[in-house]
Amino acid sequence: MYRAKLLNRTYSYLFLLIGLLIFIGPLLWLISTMLKTQDQTYVFPPKLLPDPFTLSAFTRLFETMSLMPRWIANSFSVSIINGLGTILTSSLIAFGFARTKSRLRSWLFVVVLATLMIPSQVTLIPMYILFSKIGWYDTWLPLTIPVLLANPYFIFLFRQYFLTLPRELDEATYVDGGGYWTIYSRVVLPLSGPIIISGFIFSFVFTWTDYFTPLIFIQSEKLQMMSVGLQLIMGKNSQDLPMMAAGSFLALLPIAVIYFSAQKYFVEGVVMSGIK
Amino acid sequence: MIRKWREDGAFLLFISPWIIGFLAFFVGPAIASLVYSFADYNAITKPIWVGFDNYAKLWSDEVYLKSLRNTLYFVFIGVPVTVGFQILLSLLLNIEVPGIRFFRTLYYLPYLVPPVATVIIWLILFGSGDGVVNTILLWFGGAQIDWMGSEGLIKPVIITIGMWMSGGSVLVFLAGLKGIPSSLYEASRIDGAGRVRTFFSVTLPMLTPSILFTVVMQIIYYFQMFTEAMLLSKGGPDYASQTYMMNTYQVAFRDLNFGYAMAQSWVLFVIILLITVALMQSSRRWVYYEGDEKGGSNG
Repeated sequence: MYRAKLLNRTYSYLFLLIGLLIFIGPLLWLISTMLKTQDQTYVFPPKLLPDPFTLSAFTRLFETMSLMPRWIANSFSVSIINGLGTILTSSLIAFGFARTKSRLRSWLFVVVLATLMIPSQVTLIPMYILFSKIGWYDTWLPLTIPVLLANPYFIFLFRQYFLTLPRELDEATYVDGGGYWTIYSRVVLPLSGPIIISGFIFSFVFTWTDYFTPLIFIQSEKLQMMSVGLQLIMGKNSQDLPMMAAGSFLALLPIAVIYFSAQKYFVEGVVMSGIK
Repeated sequence: MIRKWREDGAFLLFISPWIIGFLAFFVGPAIASLVYSFADYNAITKPIWVGFDNYAKLWSDEVYLKSLRNTLYFVFIGVPVTVGFQILLSLLLNIEVPGIRFFRTLYYLPYLVPPVATVIIWLILFGSGDGVVNTILLWFGGAQIDWMGSEGLIKPVIITIGMWMSGGSVLVFLAGLKGIPSSLYEASRIDGAGRVRTFFSVTLPMLTPSILFTVVMQIIYYFQMFTEAMLLSKGGPDYASQTYMMNTYQVAFRDLNFGYAMAQSWVLFVIILLITVALMQSSRRWVYYEGDEKGGSNG
């Protein structure tokens, strides 16, 4: 019996390690590549540990792509704006759906869910035409305003959380003479720490990794985001693997830092939106 | 009565940001795209109304048809393969051994890698001459493979990207697995069912709500596939990885044929709608909901 269990456990670890190789191996290889010289990437057979290792890829990256710091700063700005803005608008909207007693709630919420299903392509081109006409093209507004006003995912996420808070709290506030605004700002928000953090993180990550929206709506390289900047690196230096790896690493780093320091909130957010 | 009106007023006030956004960024654009799909329109000169020409043209547009077939390949082959893989992974990560949290944390990480960075990683891994994958194949006595240049292989290679980013779905499945009452496993053990039998008659039926959710999310992912196909192989070779979204993007922003692109968007919307409705309809037969005697296997 004991032996069988030990054997089982050995197999479990074996499979877990194979999986680890698949999921983390490519990232380790990315880090290895960015620490090599260009010549080292052509060495056969390839080596995981660069010998000697060098940071020259980063030097080349910042020399040939002089806008790199700008792109990183742009991505940070827009991601933070979207993160904070999402908390504000989604919590207000979700509060309306979760806590008021209006008769319109349920069918309008079906409309919100329906917009989750509509592919963004359908509205994308008219939005491009609209934004061109009202002077929003080549500004950050198309990257932020639609996310803040109409992102069904975050409305759904916040509503799910608000529904878990006991309704007696509302009643008590109401009896004390407080209206919905008091309930929202004094009762519900102070209890919503975890979902506020999850909402910020998710909105930040979505904006940071989004490639398509800036590709369509931003033209000036100065205003561009890191994701499109990375593609510009690919376009100009597709032979320089270490430099491309260095750029990818910089694009990944902030997300990885957030993930490892706030992992609990990632899990909570996904699970909250996932089921029921 | 007044109380009710006040309730509606408060509700509408709270959701007013969404109402503005919904009208400006969903309803307005959707109507505009439907209207312009019947026109020759380049956003600069005035639209010329052409009736159903844009829709009729689709049937003889070879590149369009190929992009549609590619996307359906992703949906009908990529989705089942990816979801099956994700279920196996979540079973593996559900084993309670010391250190399992460490594995769960790291398996999730690829899900967060920005798509452009993922493409760069894949270019490094699957490079034709000196890529790591080819080197490993060579060690095992295999041949060098031109992954990006092969019409038959490029789509599977792109699917491996989706599989690598399984983390999000795996979390959903893990939560689903946690929700299965242990009494069911005990009952199954008492009945003398083996592991495989238990998986098919307890675990899988109890996971069906998570499976439905994940399948819908994966369908949306593969229908909107853009970045990976665009940057990894530029839709090639010979349009073998041209996806629907990529094709529409090029028709709009490269050819400035906005009317035609909007017709394509609407056709895609109808296709997604039909597939989703069919899936939801069929789900009544295969998704198990607690308290619902008809669904699932109770035997």
